[in-house]
Amino acid sequence: MKIKLSILTLLLCCSSLIFAQVKFTASVNKTTIGTGEVLEVTFSINANGDRFAPPAFGGFQVVGGPNVSNSMSMINGVTSSSIAYGYDLVPTREGEFTIGPATIISGGRSYSTSPIKIKVVKGQGGQANQQAQQQQSNGPDSRNIQKGRVSDISKSLFLRAEVDKTTAYMGQQIMMNLRLYTRVNIANGEPEKIPDLNGFYSQEIKNNNPNAQWRTEILNGVRYNVTDIKQTVLFPEHEGDITIEPSVMNFIVRQQAASSSGDPFDAFFGGYEDVKYKVKSTPVVIHVKPLPLAGKPAEFTGAVGKFNIEASLDKNDVKANDAINYTIKVSGAGNLKLLKPISPTFPADFEKYEPKITDTITINASGASGSRKYTYLLIPRHQGDFTIDPVKFAYFNPATGRYVTLTTQAFHIKVAKGSGDGSNVTAFSNAGKQDVKVLSNDIRYIKTGSEVNEVGSDFYGSGLYYFLLILGPVGFIGALIYGKWRDKNNADVVGLKSRKAGKVAAKHLASAKQQLNDKKAFYENLFRGLYGYLSDKLNIPYADLNREKIASELKARSLDESLINEMLDTLDLCEMARYAPVSGITAQQVFDKAQNMINNIENKI
Amino acid sequence: MMKRVIYLLLIIVMPIYALANDEANILLKKGNDQYAKGQYKEAITTYQKIVDDGHQSALVYYNLGNAYFKNEDVPSALLYYEKAHKLSPGDEDINFNIQFANQKTTDKVEAGTEFFITKWWHSFILRFSLTTLAVMTILFFVAGCALLIVYRFTNSVSIKKWSFYLALVILIFGFASMFVASRQDQYFDAHHGAIIFSTSVNVKSAPTPNAKNLFLIHDGTKVEILEDNNGWTKIRLASGNEGWINASDAKEI
Repeated sequence: MKIKLSILTLLLCCSSLIFAQVKFTASVNKTTIGTGEVLEVTFSINANGDRFAPPAFGGFQVVGGPNVSNSMSMINGVTSSSIAYGYDLVPTREGEFTIGPATIISGGRSYSTSPIKIKVVKGQGGQANQQAQQQQSNGPDSRNIQKGRVSDISKSLFLRAEVDKTTAYMGQQIMMNLRLYTRVNIANGEPEKIPDLNGFYSQEIKNNNPNAQWRTEILNGVRYNVTDIKQTVLFPEHEGDITIEPSVMNFIVRQQAASSSGDPFDAFFGGYEDVKYKVKSTPVVIHVKPLPLAGKPAEFTGAVGKFNIEASLDKNDVKANDAINYTIKVSGAGNLKLLKPISPTFPADFEKYEPKITDTITINASGASGSRKYTYLLIPRHQGDFTIDPVKFAYFNPATGRYVTLTTQAFHIKVAKGSGDGSNVTAFSNAGKQDVKVLSNDIRYIKTGSEVNEVGSDFYGSGLYYFLLILGPVGFIGALIYGKWRDKNNADVVGLKSRKAGKVAAKHLASAKQQLNDKKAFYENLFRGLYGYLSDKLNIPYADLNREKIASELKARSLDESLINEMLDTLDLCEMARYAPVSGITAQQVFDKAQNMINNIENKI
Repeated sequence: MMKRVIYLLLIIVMPIYALANDEANILLKKGNDQYAKGQYKEAITTYQKIVDDGHQSALVYYNLGNAYFKNEDVPSALLYYEKAHKLSPGDEDINFNIQFANQKTTDKVEAGTEFFITKWWHSFILRFSLTTLAVMTILFFVAGCALLIVYRFTNSVSIKKWSFYLALVILIFGFASMFVASRQDQYFDAHHGAIIFSTSVNVKSAPTPNAKNLFLIHDGTKVEILEDNNGWTKIRLASGNEGWINASDAKEI
């Protein structure tokens, strides 16, 4: 067999010599290496080849490759190409090893490389040491790994969710540590169920080291390898008992198989069996207390922990329309991330923008701490002296169980007239004006009148209302009737005269009576009175009045004959008496007679 | 004659406006002082006393409504605002506060949008209070008739002319105000409102406790009363939904 191989090799070598064209060679960067060092092996062919078959790298572990590189070159019209296959190998143990021949087919012919002998010595230098250290820190301490078969894994491998306190105030931070305790060798582990942590605001502590940090801990007199799988800061969001659900992890536990031979190689390669094992932590109940109501400041918005607050202003002497920065910095330990925005009151003439929030919060094993910065950009729009009121910030200190109110300082800002204002005014007269700012809404104030203006809603439709309503029209109608009646009477001139006749006569009679002693004047007045009376009464013009006319008119009004005669006699007497003395009757008697007659006529007509 | 009519009118009309007695005025001042100091509960008691004495004053109702509002009793506030509104429908402050207080109620009732002429007409007829309109009507009629009487009896042609036309105009005003008053009266008759006082009320389909629940309304909502039946009230929301509630769940305006 060996002879056949050597003959073949010889033949191949010959052929390569003959053709002097195709060369397939293997090379290494060194033939003697230490354990842990990397050996580079390259197989190269100076022609096109395919179906490359690498050798079995016994005693080595392939850590890189195959890295294939092609190159093609044209020299004087002759095309030549080459292919190289590179491998990175790491020896697994000390000793002498041979890298076997690799084969390739090119141009229908098969080529193989010559084997290379490599000597592996005990590794030297930093790399090996480093690995050893890593082994120590990364892997569980082998001293604690229980030898032999583990019948009851649950006692040797378990998860514990540890909290630093089981009673907390709302918003108070709680550290939760999920720890793995093991006394067995773990090949692999992966979480199956991570609790939701409902009822908490949670923040995981970032571990910069990707490898698990193992340490030794004695629990109940037993030594365990312990590592923190996950550390979380919890902030309870509501009061009551909140249960942290169990975490579940799947592990592959490598147990030493029952092996009779004490061969270390056997132990290394195949002396173990892998067992799948599910680990579940016990649930933890956190009792969350509500924050005390007593002494709760109005400014309190839910900050729990221990804080400090400071405010700063970058400048306090500016021109209108120049920006200023107002910063409030809350620092301390607690639920900083959950802080509600602080709303300072700024002068209404300041334009305020939403604050920029900068968090510098570190979360480590001692909890969340750091600072939160609120930066407000303010632009004063008007000149004047302004004050930024102090900001009050209240937090609850769970350590003392009391509320603490902190106050920042007040700032005085002097705003000078802005440079831009003048030009605005020349352009548009009301460019500098601004809308009245609505700060908040409220109901309108009460009416401060001091009199109960009682307005009975029942006046409308009442009897009084209707009475007053018709008062006007009724008055008007009354006035119309009165006017009509007056007009009618005014239009009847004869009737008027007739009615007035009695009065005229009475006037004459009265004047006659005054002259009872002067007979002539008496009779004259009496005569005129009677004549005037009859003229008015009978509607006969004074000039047309004579004895006959009077008699006929009176008769026409159907007066008594005797009365007519008496009247005519009296008139005759008066006429006569004006010229001759009268006998047989006194002036008084004539006067009475005339008066009686007038009365009689008045009664009848 | 005219002088006599005016005196008569004054004697009859004046007391309507100046009936308020001293006691009520003192209480009002006290209530205003308490309100100004922020003692809203005390102010409510004081104002309520004026109302209980039988005084109907838009001012007192409005102030009482304000005090209730500040005391965070929105349904009561709305009840008294609405009472004030009824007495003085054109008052800006009252209307503003009604709108403002309505923002604090639970139910959002979308009123059907009124045609703009209807809206304008309503705001026109609600401009003045009913009593103001009634007094205006009477004064217009008396003045118009007086001018007509002057027209009838004067001898001067120019006075006759002027008094006639003036009387005509004033009488037209009189008729207009009478008409508006009757419209307003009819409006409040048709919009016979109530305020819900129970925190949540199931509006039922019939006036029986077992009837189906149609919808749910909350305190502070204004409803229109359509009819009463044996301790039950048929109501309608501004959105047009109708149903029956217990009469005790709402207070009439």
